[in-house]
Amino acid sequence: SLSLSPKKKGGSPTPEPSARGRTKEMSSAAQQLPRTESRTLSGHEGAVLAVRFNHDGKYCLSCGKDRTVRLWNPHTGAHVKTYKSHGREVRDVNASSDNAKLVSCGGDKQIFYWDVASGKVIRKFRGHNSEVNSVKFNEHNTVVLSAGYDRSVRAFDCRSQSSDPIQTIDTFQDSVMSVNVTNTEIIAGSVDGTVRTFDIRMGRETVDNLGHPVNCISLSNDRNCLLANCLDSTVRLLDKNSGEMLQEYKGHICKSFKMDCCLTNDDAFVIGGSEDGFVFFWELVDAPIVATFRAHSSVVLFPCHQRHLSPNKDLHVDVICRWDHSCLDLKIEIADVCYPY
Amino acid sequence: WLAVVVRDEEGRRRFHGAFTGGFSAGFYNTAGSKEGWTPQTFTSSRKSRAEHKKQSIYNFLDEEDIKDMGGNALETSQQYDTFGFTAAEHARKQASKEQNERPSAIPGPVPDELVVPATTSIGVKLLMKMGWHQGRTIKDAHADSLYESRREARKAFLALSGVSNDEDQDQIASQKSRVDENVAESFNKISASGNTPVYVLHPKEDLHGLGFDPFKHAPEFKGQYAPGFGIGALEELGVEDEDIYASGFNYEQTEVDIEPSKTSGDSKFKLEDKKRGFFLSFKIASNSEYKLERFHPPEIPADFDGRHKFSSPIQTADKFSDLAPPEVPPPEDTTLRLLIEGCAAMVARCGKHIEDFYKEKSKASPQFLFLDGGDGCSYYTRKLWEHQQKFIDRQRPGAVKSKPSSDKLTAENRGTILGEKPLDRSSKSSSSFVSAKEAVQLQSNLGDTFVKPISLDGVPESKKPFRNEPAKQARFEQFLKEKYQGGLRIASLAPTITMSDADRARERLDFEAAADAIEKGKEYKAIDPLSILGLPGLNEQRFVSSTQLESSAVLQDERPMYPQREEFEWRPSPILCKRFDIVDPFMGKPMPLRRPISKMDTLMFMTESTKKINEDVRGSSTIPQNAAVSGTEETEAQETANNPDIVASRMQRPVDLYKAIFSDDSDDDMDEPLNNQQVDPVKTSEGANMALNRLVAEDFLESLGKELGLEVPPEKPAQPPNVLFRSEILPTADASVSRNGQTSTFREIKENEGSLGLMEAANGNGDDPSSNVEKLDFKYEHSADIGRSHSLHRQIRNGSPESDTSIERHRSRKR
Repeated sequence: SLSLSPKKKGGSPTPEPSARGRTKEMSSAAQQLPRTESRTLSGHEGAVLAVRFNHDGKYCLSCGKDRTVRLWNPHTGAHVKTYKSHGREVRDVNASSDNAKLVSCGGDKQIFYWDVASGKVIRKFRGHNSEVNSVKFNEHNTVVLSAGYDRSVRAFDCRSQSSDPIQTIDTFQDSVMSVNVTNTEIIAGSVDGTVRTFDIRMGRETVDNLGHPVNCISLSNDRNCLLANCLDSTVRLLDKNSGEMLQEYKGHICKSFKMDCCLTNDDAFVIGGSEDGFVFFWELVDAPIVATFRAHSSVVLFPCHQRHLSPNKDLHVDVICRWDHSCLDLKIEIADVCYPY
Repeated sequence: WLAVVVRDEEGRRRFHGAFTGGFSAGFYNTAGSKEGWTPQTFTSSRKSRAEHKKQSIYNFLDEEDIKDMGGNALETSQQYDTFGFTAAEHARKQASKEQNERPSAIPGPVPDELVVPATTSIGVKLLMKMGWHQGRTIKDAHADSLYESRREARKAFLALSGVSNDEDQDQIASQKSRVDENVAESFNKISASGNTPVYVLHPKEDLHGLGFDPFKHAPEFKGQYAPGFGIGALEELGVEDEDIYASGFNYEQTEVDIEPSKTSGDSKFKLEDKKRGFFLSFKIASNSEYKLERFHPPEIPADFDGRHKFSSPIQTADKFSDLAPPEVPPPEDTTLRLLIEGCAAMVARCGKHIEDFYKEKSKASPQFLFLDGGDGCSYYTRKLWEHQQKFIDRQRPGAVKSKPSSDKLTAENRGTILGEKPLDRSSKSSSSFVSAKEAVQLQSNLGDTFVKPISLDGVPESKKPFRNEPAKQARFEQFLKEKYQGGLRIASLAPTITMSDADRARERLDFEAAADAIEKGKEYKAIDPLSILGLPGLNEQRFVSSTQLESSAVLQDERPMYPQREEFEWRPSPILCKRFDIVDPFMGKPMPLRRPISKMDTLMFMTESTKKINEDVRGSSTIPQNAAVSGTEETEAQETANNPDIVASRMQRPVDLYKAIFSDDSDDDMDEPLNNQQVDPVKTSEGANMALNRLVAEDFLESLGKELGLEVPPEKPAQPPNVLFRSEILPTADASVSRNGQTSTFREIKENEGSLGLMEAANGNGDDPSSNVEKLDFKYEHSADIGRSHSLHRQIRNGSPESDTSIERHRSRKR
């Protein structure tokens, strides 16, 4: 299971420090959390609905209400490319691990499979009967998994010419908000309050009922824990194997928006956005709020953390995107800080 | 007589008349010349008639003579020139002539030149009669307004100041002179106001854009082309002379002075007039009949403070209340005492005027002497004071109360003002007011139509348990109102329309609980908001799905423990496993039974069974009508029973065309393997009905498919269903054809409802299109079934109607 102490550099197993030492270490680590805006990526002509890093963390992708997907270099602030083809707002985007393909979904019920370099749509996956909320590649970039408002998760084959799903999971009782993929599992969170894990290897479906609509699910880096952002303004940490609730994180506002949450690279902190424009950092184990900062004037939809460290292993980037009702100031703000570990 | 040769200034010999000092004409005073007299060449007037020459004096005068005449040629004018109008017109004409000589912006006659007023308008004529000149402003607003304002100011001053009569007169006299001055002044101003400038347009001649300066970088050339005068050809245009913002048109402001001499003369004349004391032809009368009537302002009493006082009894009472007269023993006479007391009471209630009235009366009768300081006066004053004091005391609370709400007088206020005894009413709770017995009786009598009021206190803002849901909060408040305030129960609440009965009941429970909590909190004077908020099923309603609702309904009191974990079997598709590089856990195993999510599955079976019954009925009915067809059907049924695999494979065949058109059902593809176990391949009655539609739609679909560029996948060479079908149908068709050799058999079949599909196949005679049609047919049927089952599926999965509504609500919110 997840080691509740912050991982050391290189993931080397270190002896569990004393509680006092740990808190001290925590506070020092909390000092390192990003709090300042380092860059603003502006260019979107509408609210930004999602921001994702690519696998190595060198680039980030954003999508939004202006029906475009944009590729950025967040380290330089350069706007690399715009992908336009969606007929409606783009709700999620994901990059393949080889950085060659993109997949995006949105209000037009279709899933677009893009070629990164040319910016052309390779395929459009159809099958969802209504808006698609979330989309992900699997590990081998062979399957695209999508979660839709039509209460289903669908799997599409990237290798075949067919645009039809190869599998439809429709055991959900309400809109599926988020989908995640591991080597052998498909994990999806739904508004019906469940997080469902579909183990392909075992042929099992595990239903964890949280009692509150699940907005977003995110996996810890060791893939043993699940972070679920619920609509009762609570982020819940679950043990994936046992289904136990390990911790609840509160203090932010999340009542009507689909908002993301995630863990830092070392799994030491939980990051969540809030509807009042703040970004929250909770300490993983004891769940105190260790840091907050006001990132946007409006709802922070998407605290997005660089999952994989860049080769030099000291740059740590947070991207937060926001939803702005007034659409006056549409940008992605990046807060970054150097992690000296 | 010496010939005196008279020459002019230019040395020409001139004829010199006798009047001017001599005679010298011709050649030495002859009519001829040096060469002699040469006669005129003869011209025949027959061929070219001599023109009638109009002679004028100029024909006989040379320049010298003309110069001597002073250049003043007398001309007749068409118009009588009043006030130098012609001169003005002349100037105008001159200007317009100039304008015409200039190149015109619009080639050809300009509209302005075309549209010329035939005569001056009546307004202009009238103005001119009144002394207006062309080119003048009609009214000199400044002078006039000044005069007007001054006059107004004076009026106001006179009205305000209470001046004595002779002063007034002086004032008026001075006024008059000042008025004269003013009039003269204003006239001066009018005459001096001058003429309106005439703007002459220089049209743009070049083809440059507006503001473009071709000489911007070559200012040395500018002068050569610069239009206008004042700048010579070689003069340079200074930088300061340039007008950067000049428009394409150059305005040249020229003051056309219409009558310079006359105006000056006029002013002179006016001045003289003024000196002499009259103005033009009018003279101001030394003593006029008309006198300005002046009214003095009303006299204001010294004690006037600008506010009206009502002589109400309260006011008078207030006056008296200050000083309390000394206590005086009542007079011995009881009748007098009674009279005094009654009078005092009366006066205190009705006011001072009653006292006056009594006073007047008392002159006649000696009984009322106490009013005039007679016997018992002091007692009267004392009594009066007492009564007044009493009256005030009674009235004060009412008066005080009515003062702030004076704008809105309620019945109670009015009552208190009038001194009415307030009715015991809503201020006390009914439970205390009515005895317990009565209350019970009332309760039973009133029954359900009235709700019992408990307390009137509203719920404070902070204690709103449903703050998150305004609609629900509103309903809750309504509920509280009903509960505490009493009154007629509202039969149907508007917002509950969207709610189911169960939902409403649950909400009512919630409300009861919340109300109880609030009650308790009130009792203990310390309300814990969490205790209200933490009520079961209150707070977590917001974003809950159907199962949630059900569970909360069941577990009303104890909150279910989350997270709950359940596990089910889930079968990944083989291709998914392959793509995930995982060995299919169900490889080689038979399809598992579907996890019963709800009763839906059983219902699905039910529909299947009913379908089968239908079929049987139909099949039996068809037998007597057409033996051949029913026979085929029987065989068909038999065969399908024999090889279900074949049927299954037939069902699984993808039909892209259909999907492309009706893609909504495509999500059920995954269900197909499951469904086709139950779906009976034999045509159902619905299928038959659809077949009829299909007959019509067939061509359309095909053409549509072609248009869309969708390919109907080619037929596999040896396909069991086809074989099956052919084996069934073709014999029939062949048989019928062979029997009759006519199409009439087909019609017979067509009349048979159940065999339309077969007819179709027979009609196609086993060609490829017919097989396509079959496919379509099957797909159609199948999808219809699925559609039905799907809808069922949805309904059942939602569990109950209220959960459905909750989901809908949730969705609408999400949207």
